[in-house]
Amino acid sequence: MSEPFRRVPEGISIDLPDPLRTWLAEQARAAATDAVQMEHPVHRRLLGPIDPSQDHDDPVTELQRQFGVEGSLGVLIETAHESLLSEEQAEEWIRALQLILAATAARLAITDEETLSRLSEENAEIVTTLQAGISLMIDALDA
Amino acid sequence: MTQGDTDLITESDQRLDIPWEVVLWNDPVSLISLVVRVLRGLFSYDLAKAERLTMQVHNEGKSIVWSGDKEQAAAYCVALHGYALSATIQQSQ
Repeated sequence: MSEPFRRVPEGISIDLPDPLRTWLAEQARAAATDAVQMEHPVHRRLLGPIDPSQDHDDPVTELQRQFGVEGSLGVLIETAHESLLSEEQAEEWIRALQLILAATAARLAITDEETLSRLSEENAEIVTTLQAGISLMIDALDA
Repeated sequence: MTQGDTDLITESDQRLDIPWEVVLWNDPVSLISLVVRVLRGLFSYDLAKAERLTMQVHNEGKSIVWSGDKEQAAAYCVALHGYALSATIQQSQ
């Protein structure tokens, strides 16, 4: 496989296997679903209050953050099978991959280096795959 | 106005003058390169400052990455959350 993400004159080209694209879209849908379940650890991780002295953000901030999460994940879902992204879409992919990574960490209760090191091989591979995707997309965008 | 009222207003005014801080917390999965990039992009910090703050987060568990008025601190905090980074706001001690 060539470089998965590559800067081209028109934007950022994507060369990923179809099953991986489908998996990413599924992960994005799962993160979006879990993020709006009030008691879910993914909700607490992605949408917990920015001021810990308060139970909730103010309603405007709450909505703004929810739209932000849904927007970034939505861009990844909509463009998961595209071969070319605009700069803005590529930036949304970085946000979405980060959101998926954080959601995964919340579901797996990864709170520190120790819990990270105790992951099963399968779960460790999920984390490293997402981290690699973020790193490669950063390299492509900043090239 | 009573002496008590005066004290109350003075105390409140001083409280308003205390800056708010954006605290970035360590998380075990976010990449250092991602955090550095976000800090540079969001706050226009140079590479050295972004790296220093990121390594403080990594080594000490947290770092105050910005301070100023509450509204702007909240906006920065929301922007950090847009990249799924763990951030909170607090008033300076």
